[in-house]
Amino acid sequence: MLKKTIWYSVFTVAIAGIVVLAGGFYQALKVTTESSPYQPAKVIMAQTSGSSTEAELKNTNSLQLLILGDSIAKGTGDEKGKGFSTDLPQAIKTDTPKDILVTDAGINGLESQGLLAQLQNGSLNKPLAGANFILISIGGNDLRTILSLNPQAQEDEFKIKQDSYLSNLKQVLTILRSSNPNAYIVFLGLYNPYEKTTTEEEVSLWQEWNYNTEQLIESNPKAICIPSDDLMKFNLGKYLAPDGLHPNSAGYLALSDRIRKSLGGVIAGM
Amino acid sequence: MQQTPVLQLKNIKKTIKGKEIIKHIDLTLYPSQIFGFLGPNGAGKTTTIRMIVGLIRPTEGSVTICGHSVSRDFVKAMSNVGCIIESPDMYKYLTGMENLLQYAAMNKTIGRQRVHDVVEMVGLQHRINDKISTYSLGMRQRLGIAQALLSRPKLLILDEPTNGLDPAGITEFRNLIRRLAYEEGMTVFVSSHLLLEIEEICDTVSIIKQGTVIKTGAVQELLHEDKIEWQLNDPQKAIALLDEHWNIKAVQLKKNTVSARLGEPSLAEINELLIKEGLELTYCSSKQNTLEDLFLGLTEGDQIV
Amino acid sequence: MYSLIENEVTKMIAKKRLMFVLAILVILISVFAYGQNRTLARTKAQLTQRMGITATTDWHKLAEQQLIDMKGRLDSPYMDAKSQSSLTVKMQQLQYDLDNNINPLDQSAAKFTATFMEQSIFLFLPLLIVILAADMVSGESSSGTIKLLLVRNIPRWKILLSKYLALIILEVVVIFCAFLLSALISGFFFGFGGWMAPVATGFRVLAGKLDASGVFNVPEWQFSLMVYSLAFFVAVVVGSISFMISVLVKSTAASIGIILATLIAGNFISFFLSDWTLTHYLFMVNLRLTDYLSGAVQPVDGMNMLFSVTVLIVWALVSTIVSFVYFTKKDILV
Repeated sequence: MLKKTIWYSVFTVAIAGIVVLAGGFYQALKVTTESSPYQPAKVIMAQTSGSSTEAELKNTNSLQLLILGDSIAKGTGDEKGKGFSTDLPQAIKTDTPKDILVTDAGINGLESQGLLAQLQNGSLNKPLAGANFILISIGGNDLRTILSLNPQAQEDEFKIKQDSYLSNLKQVLTILRSSNPNAYIVFLGLYNPYEKTTTEEEVSLWQEWNYNTEQLIESNPKAICIPSDDLMKFNLGKYLAPDGLHPNSAGYLALSDRIRKSLGGVIAGM
Repeated sequence: MQQTPVLQLKNIKKTIKGKEIIKHIDLTLYPSQIFGFLGPNGAGKTTTIRMIVGLIRPTEGSVTICGHSVSRDFVKAMSNVGCIIESPDMYKYLTGMENLLQYAAMNKTIGRQRVHDVVEMVGLQHRINDKISTYSLGMRQRLGIAQALLSRPKLLILDEPTNGLDPAGITEFRNLIRRLAYEEGMTVFVSSHLLLEIEEICDTVSIIKQGTVIKTGAVQELLHEDKIEWQLNDPQKAIALLDEHWNIKAVQLKKNTVSARLGEPSLAEINELLIKEGLELTYCSSKQNTLEDLFLGLTEGDQIV
Repeated sequence: MYSLIENEVTKMIAKKRLMFVLAILVILISVFAYGQNRTLARTKAQLTQRMGITATTDWHKLAEQQLIDMKGRLDSPYMDAKSQSSLTVKMQQLQYDLDNNINPLDQSAAKFTATFMEQSIFLFLPLLIVILAADMVSGESSSGTIKLLLVRNIPRWKILLSKYLALIILEVVVIFCAFLLSALISGFFFGFGGWMAPVATGFRVLAGKLDASGVFNVPEWQFSLMVYSLAFFVAVVVGSISFMISVLVKSTAASIGIILATLIAGNFISFFLSDWTLTHYLFMVNLRLTDYLSGAVQPVDGMNMLFSVTVLIVWALVSTIVSFVYFTKKDILV
């Protein structure tokens, strides 16, 4: 009798199962082959690029700021959603009566290669040409990829990464200069968000990276490399976002303030 | 005869992988008959049975069961057959009863009562709910017969049925076969390499050798032709007498033994005369080994193919 | 026909094959769930250590910040139009987690259930099906019971069809049990919820590239349903092929061996010969159907859901036809 019972339950499960699974199978096919029911809105893009074209209507009463680079350029981590694109103009505003127009082209996760490509494809030509200041934050994502490697591989990979990074950065500077010889370029140095877990070797690699970057940037007369590590190192608890990587709102404010101070001399003269 | 034959094999041939296993077989079986299919190992008995039940196709010829061709009307033909082939292979992980229920479920005409009847017929009622893996060969043989009987077949085919049965079981089995044939009108097809088996229960026998039926006849008729041995004091005289009175060519086997094949005259008649002529007849053996002699004589010098 | 199928299923159950398969499932799911639990704990510990803050307990802030961040990215003029929908999908997921107070790092029974089958579909599930299917005909051949089965007043094709249908029934049972067991067992580790959480799907492979522009969220229960349906489809295909081998080969061990070798070879082939177009038509390289669903697919030119499903259907059909033709014609000599 037990066997009969098992058979009946097996049979019921099978019949019900086949119906349900056939439905699921149909759905799965539909989902992966048909065009989706949700069409992403592409309007947003048109709108914002419209506002940036507005920006390059040369207004002598305004200063133009172009922000380039990775998630830090983008303002990631700011719980108020502001970042440099809001904080920096506000900071600068204290030194100048002029309006500050901002174009923020930061992209999360961008590496130096990506930045170069972004500049090469020409989409930034107009904001680039009109910019008075260019803020760049790049390299963190290049360097971060070597963290997970073992010490031996780390050193090898570091050299490879650094070489390509420096060469990319060099080309980036060339492009910037060729389309805009006069803008002040501000490069934000790397800080170390992983203070507690970094090994000595890693610290020295990271310093080497910063040093070489600084050398490259400073060789350009109208460019400055502003370190961020001295500001962040003992203030990680205060300035770091919950993701443990990006600055938080206070962090961006502090960094913006520092940049303002560095640029104070040139802004006053504009 | 006017009756429809239960089983008819017409000019059966079978070649497997270029080898002619069955060369030529013709057979006709009528209802209520116990038929013996006798042959040495490898003569083609099992192959023939497989062709009868449609497990393999004859290369040539036709098999008809109760008027239905096995190849063209398999379902109707097989409705009339119950069989065991070679060994009684059962599902070891099921009990005897579950095995029978499996087969019963495959035929709507078989009810639960029939299953119980069949179990009783073969005397398995005490162990029927045990797993087959615990069964002896004899018990599996009984279960095999039970499964063959389930559908009340008109033709029952049993391949080496007494393998593994104990003497009591063999007797029981023979009684069962006789009852089925003579009371229920079944035709029973028994294949065996054991002479005693065939001699004991069969009405008709075919002897198969190297894929060909070499002799078919009623067991009684075949026995008539068989050899008799006498032990007597004067073999030469006996030989002369046999030749003189019945034209029987006898031979001297051992010192005091004479052997001959009998035709018309009865053994009693001959013995009476021998004693009358003053011969001292110490022993006379007849039937017991005769079919064996016939069989050995017919299959003499054969190698197993 | 009904009682013939019942016979076959009864045999499979009595043979303990089904129990065996279910036992393997229980063991493996338990091990997986335990392993996932350990990994999760370790990841959390690592995160806490690395970030210096309790990202695992303080995930609300983190999630909120990520949300703001993604919103910012979505508004960016330099946002790639194609990534917009995947960003929207991610935002919806994060929003759901926030609204329902679910730490995005945490596993749930629902997530585990879907992941388990996604990971099993190309090797483990076929293996279970092979255990069932490889024995269906060759088992009867090697034990000799096939003789008694074929001398009934039932045509051979009906016998074989009953076996095939019994196999399909058992496949449903295996899929059903895999679902039930992974939901239950992982529930003890991760809690039984998560069935309404959004999961991204709707990826397409266009011109050899994964296209995420049409991505959208479906609830986890629906996603699991689709995953298990695809798994069932794969089970039927692998079952049909194993069934054919089982018909062609007399010994169960040999038929299991042949199919396992084929499956494992398939995994090698998809590694080493992926640019050889002919290999795309092998059934083994087309088994990872769920990857199309979850977007985990390694895009290969010319291969998409429709292609894979068609290839698998053709394999199943041909196998079934070969099985039936061979079985109804062959001489039973065992």
